Amino acid sequence: MGTNGDVKIGVYVCHCGTNIAAKVNIKEVVEFAQTLPHVTIAREYKFMCSDPGQELIRQDIRELGINRVIVASCSPLMHEATFRRVLEEGGSNPFFFHMANIREHDSWVTSSSRQATRKAQALIAAAAKRVFFHEALQKNSVPVNSNVMIVGGGISGIQAALTIANAGKKVYLVEREPSIGGHMAKFDKTFPTLDCASCILTPKMTQVASHPNIELLTYSEVESVEGYVGNFKIQIRKKARFVDENLCTGCGECTEVCPIDIPSEFDEGLGMRKAIYRPFPQSVPNTYTISRRGLPPCQATCSLHQKAQAYIQLIAKGEFEKALQIILRDNPLPSICGRVCSHPCMSVCSRNKVDQAVNIPGLKRFVTDRLSDYELPKPERERKEKIAVVGSGPSGLMCAYELRQRGYKVTIFEAASQPGGMLTQGIPAFRLPRGIITDEIERLERTGIDIKLNTHVGIDISLKDLKKKHDAVYIAIGAGVERKLNIPGENLRGIWGGIDFLRRINLGMHITPGKRVLVIGGGNSAIDAARTALRSGAEEVTIVYRRSRNEMPADQLEVEEAEKEGIRFYFMASPLRFLGNGRVTGMEFIRTRLGHPDESGRRRPVPIPNSEFTLPCDGVIVTIGQKPDVESLRDRLGLALTKFNTFVTDPLTLETNIPGVFAGGDCVTGPDVVVNAMFAGKKAAISIDRYLNRQDMREGRELEGPFEPTFEIDTEGVPVKWRIEMPSIEIERRRTFEEVHTGYTPEMAMEEAARCLACAGCCDCQLCSTVCEAKAIDYNQKDTTLEVDVGSIIIATGFKTFDPKRIPSYGYQILPNVFTSLEIERLINSAGPTGGEIILKNGEKPKSVGIIHCVGSRDIHHNRYCSRVCCMYSLKFAHLIRERTHAEVYNFYIDMRAFGKGYEEFYDRILEEGAHLVRGRVAEVTDVALDSSEEGKLIIRVEDTLIGMVRRIPVDMVILSVGLEARPDAEEVRRLFNISCSVEGFFLERHPKLAPVSTFTDGVFLAGACQGPKDIPDSVAQAGAAAAEALALIDKGVVELEPNTAWIEEEECSGCQTCVALCPFTAISYDAEKHVSVVNEVLCKGCGTCVSACPSGAAKQHLFLDEEILAEIEGVLTI
Amino acid sequence: MQTHRKVKYEAELDPSFTKWVSTVPGGERIRECFQCGTCSSICPLSVYMDISPRRLIAMADAGFKEEVLSSFTIWLCASCYSCSVNCPKDIKITDIMYGLKRRAIEEGIFPSRHFAIPILAKAFANMVRKNGRATESRLVVSLAWRVSLFRLLNMAPLGIKLLLRGRLSFKKEKIQNKQEIQTMLKALEANR
Repeated sequence: MGTNGDVKIGVYVCHCGTNIAAKVNIKEVVEFAQTLPHVTIAREYKFMCSDPGQELIRQDIRELGINRVIVASCSPLMHEATFRRVLEEGGSNPFFFHMANIREHDSWVTSSSRQATRKAQALIAAAAKRVFFHEALQKNSVPVNSNVMIVGGGISGIQAALTIANAGKKVYLVEREPSIGGHMAKFDKTFPTLDCASCILTPKMTQVASHPNIELLTYSEVESVEGYVGNFKIQIRKKARFVDENLCTGCGECTEVCPIDIPSEFDEGLGMRKAIYRPFPQSVPNTYTISRRGLPPCQATCSLHQKAQAYIQLIAKGEFEKALQIILRDNPLPSICGRVCSHPCMSVCSRNKVDQAVNIPGLKRFVTDRLSDYELPKPERERKEKIAVVGSGPSGLMCAYELRQRGYKVTIFEAASQPGGMLTQGIPAFRLPRGIITDEIERLERTGIDIKLNTHVGIDISLKDLKKKHDAVYIAIGAGVERKLNIPGENLRGIWGGIDFLRRINLGMHITPGKRVLVIGGGNSAIDAARTALRSGAEEVTIVYRRSRNEMPADQLEVEEAEKEGIRFYFMASPLRFLGNGRVTGMEFIRTRLGHPDESGRRRPVPIPNSEFTLPCDGVIVTIGQKPDVESLRDRLGLALTKFNTFVTDPLTLETNIPGVFAGGDCVTGPDVVVNAMFAGKKAAISIDRYLNRQDMREGRELEGPFEPTFEIDTEGVPVKWRIEMPSIEIERRRTFEEVHTGYTPEMAMEEAARCLACAGCCDCQLCSTVCEAKAIDYNQKDTTLEVDVGSIIIATGFKTFDPKRIPSYGYQILPNVFTSLEIERLINSAGPTGGEIILKNGEKPKSVGIIHCVGSRDIHHNRYCSRVCCMYSLKFAHLIRERTHAEVYNFYIDMRAFGKGYEEFYDRILEEGAHLVRGRVAEVTDVALDSSEEGKLIIRVEDTLIGMVRRIPVDMVILSVGLEARPDAEEVRRLFNISCSVEGFFLERHPKLAPVSTFTDGVFLAGACQGPKDIPDSVAQAGAAAAEALALIDKGVVELEPNTAWIEEEECSGCQTCVALCPFTAISYDAEKHVSVVNEVLCKGCGTCVSACPSGAAKQHLFLDEEILAEIEGVLTI
Repeated sequence: MQTHRKVKYEAELDPSFTKWVSTVPGGERIRECFQCGTCSSICPLSVYMDISPRRLIAMADAGFKEEVLSSFTIWLCASCYSCSVNCPKDIKITDIMYGLKRRAIEEGIFPSRHFAIPILAKAFANMVRKNGRATESRLVVSLAWRVSLFRLLNMAPLGIKLLLRGRLSFKKEKIQNKQEIQTMLKALEANR
């Protein structure tokens, strides 16, 4: 044992007043200590930590040559640092020291004096064994970065920032909201002096903004924190505010045009703000922000990304002209789409969660009907390139329009005598009047598009010629060839293909399909054919479909209309053959049941054996689908085809296998809806434009087209309001081709549009950018990440108020006129939603007001603690309400807490003014009146505990003085900064009395209410203290690191790297040359994870060497 | 009117009662009561009580044994548990009321000799002990006999109507093997 030199141990047993001495027999312990090996001297003293106590140790080191010291007293957390310093002063290495905790671990927690004494002996024996092995260690020191980051821009953060910045140090002030100011900015007056909150706060806010040493990062959040005291590396995410802070002048023109109203968070939802907003007029920075959750679901899911929320919001405001202009930005055929679009937007409408989707196409139609003399924009420049479009259906028209807008010369070749493709030929006039199509196409022609009718490409002009004469070709010939049932009897007279039938009638022929007509199929064409048959002289029309109603692909609204008109449906029947001789007289079917889902996801119909039956008829229309007529093009130049006879194209660009030839719409996808055909046309136009400009056709195009909504909103509490039905003509009149739906009136349209929840916030209408003179608005702004190096961090993230909905008997959000204290702050504030008028929901002034203290506080079911500020702000309300409304005010308190400077005097003043103070916790607030004096009032039921009677007090307004809680994300913030939370969720200070602004993580300090409920004076005082701590650290310039770091014995390390992955501080790296792990001592925090994990025992830690620990255990066991 | 000297001397209080109350199941937290009055104001019957639940808790905790055990309050409690649910200190006031009632029965202290509720409770318990079940009609009569015959006469018209409709029967209700319940109750009592 001589290896460690001549060890002389001194043992010092502390009485700690009576804390230890009352339980532990000190004398016995000292006598025992003297018997231990290597112990030279054992002493006792009343307070070892006091100056004379310390001197004892110093003296023994000097005079007796003591070179190991054991102090048996309190916790090392309390005084380890003190005694190490003593050793240093005495001329010894400070780490030749060990502390035996005989207070927290012994005298305080042991009931028997005998046992306490025994335990003290065991602990000292252990310490004596251990301290023998202690090594002389040196503290490392590292320089401190003088920058400080402050998280949270409330009054605490502001105060701390200014203090540090005024001392000449750089401050990063990070605030999550668009403006600094925090809760205090919402207040009107502050207790007890009643000075105006904004008068004392806003000068500080502007000082922050203009201070050269403060970098203000609003609308930003801390993403990650790395490093250690003196040297933190912080990642900060600056959220996109879609407004350039440097350009915005804060003029506010944008809010004048913004159509979106959102309940103002700053006004606690009592007033409205726009989607582009600044929280309050004195906001710092004086910059606007756009609230944008993402693209509205309706817009996201639309192939054309029509800005549906935008035009709906404008319609709701009566701004029809603006709405039209928004519609025309993305859609040159709006009056057609408003009638026949399959509206995928409606199925994702957020309103579905409440009741029914908004009638989006109906509203679009309303605008185009009302302002029907609109024109499409003309191209701004002309280009010489010529483009041929084959087919004038929606896809061809869209492509032609998009290319024409870019200045190209576009010619559309149409085989039929009328333009419009399936719009004209397939969709009946009672849904889409011919005049509407003509008007839309003429508008397109007026932009300079040439349409050549009766020109069948393949017959009148070859595709080859077309390709030669034009710079690019877009093929959009649709899918016009009927599919057949392929069952016996299909050639009988009286059997029509659905498209053939519709085409003939739509092109003006007069055909009667029969008196009793069967329609086979369940798609939109089936419904169109059936309704057309009804209008062409048929008396009885039945749609026969082989699956059930749920699997029908047809639009549900159209199905309902067809039913109203008297069309019958026959489900679960599959056709077997046609009956008749020459002309069809009936049809044989077999019943089906639903089997397993097929590739379309719908359940497959399975025939039920021996269930054949016959339906009589004299006409049948078969609408079971179409395919493209690629044969009609004759010479196809070698264009590749799929097995379904559709063109093969690149899905991203729509280019075919021949450069310069593009194809899209039904002839590529098979039969599909109008909006997808238009989308293909638009996509092809973008490709052609890039093709002709020799740009990369594929770059950045993955995001075109519909996508799933990116967000969901909470619709709780939205009142149910069903869709406004669009007026239609009477059923009796539906035997002609008169349009069925007559469209909304302006009043109806505005009412329907008002149902829109504006779920995305900003609706992407971009009207604000049209009025912004500074050109500060940038819709493409993205979140950015910033990295800063700081030496210390002050957390001042504040609090949240208790949600009184958790106490239903107080009626918050159930009874009107029950307010929270924050709401009242806004009502009282002259810059608030009522301009400082304290009024009830009906606009009247209250004659009596009840203020309930301790809501959510001092209650085992919610928060056990007292929130400290509620009594005083409730008294402040009592004063302000009496002053402004002369109402009778009742305060219901449990105990009055008026402990601050001038607070008790303020309480006196309120009593003097005549407020009624009732001692008792309110049981309930109700509107059930027991007699006429309570009628129409809110009745507060409470026991007046000082009088000893239950009282019912009728009032007009109830104010709930809600308590303060930790912020809901305190847990995440705690992890981020590696600090602790107390049970209530507030951040934990290092010591409640002696280190109230420090945390257990060096270099991280706390200020304000994030550490516990606090009023403004206390928050500001704490902010000053936190700033002083940070400055002290900076001024010292270096931090000393504990030498309890780990290291790795190179010879023993096998290079398994287990420790590298486990180290929570990323302090271990792998030296690939030596095949060993290496600990960076500066980063090591001495947690010991690597030591316990190392399979070969190569990882070791100073102050926790194996021999030290084993000796300690041995020592404990000697007793 | 006469004036009374109203002062309670410590010597008149019963400190063992204080201790006992805190051992009643549910009474563990009684010391934490901060007299907010939620129990009294939420209680649907407190307006009829001579001592409000809040005061009762304070008095029980202070050792006012006579006053507490002879109060109407403990008998008027309808066991709706509103006070227990709403008490911000989680004091199980209803459970304490039960404890006090049991103590009052044991000590034979009642607000008045003719106060119906304890009499009813006793009659009910006896009937169940004997037959394993209560016969409501007989219970009413036996209660009236001991409290007030006059009130029975007052309620006669209602009783006759109920009888005629078959809603009130004088047939004794009993369970099978009623000796078993007696055995059980005896075993319970022997255990105490």
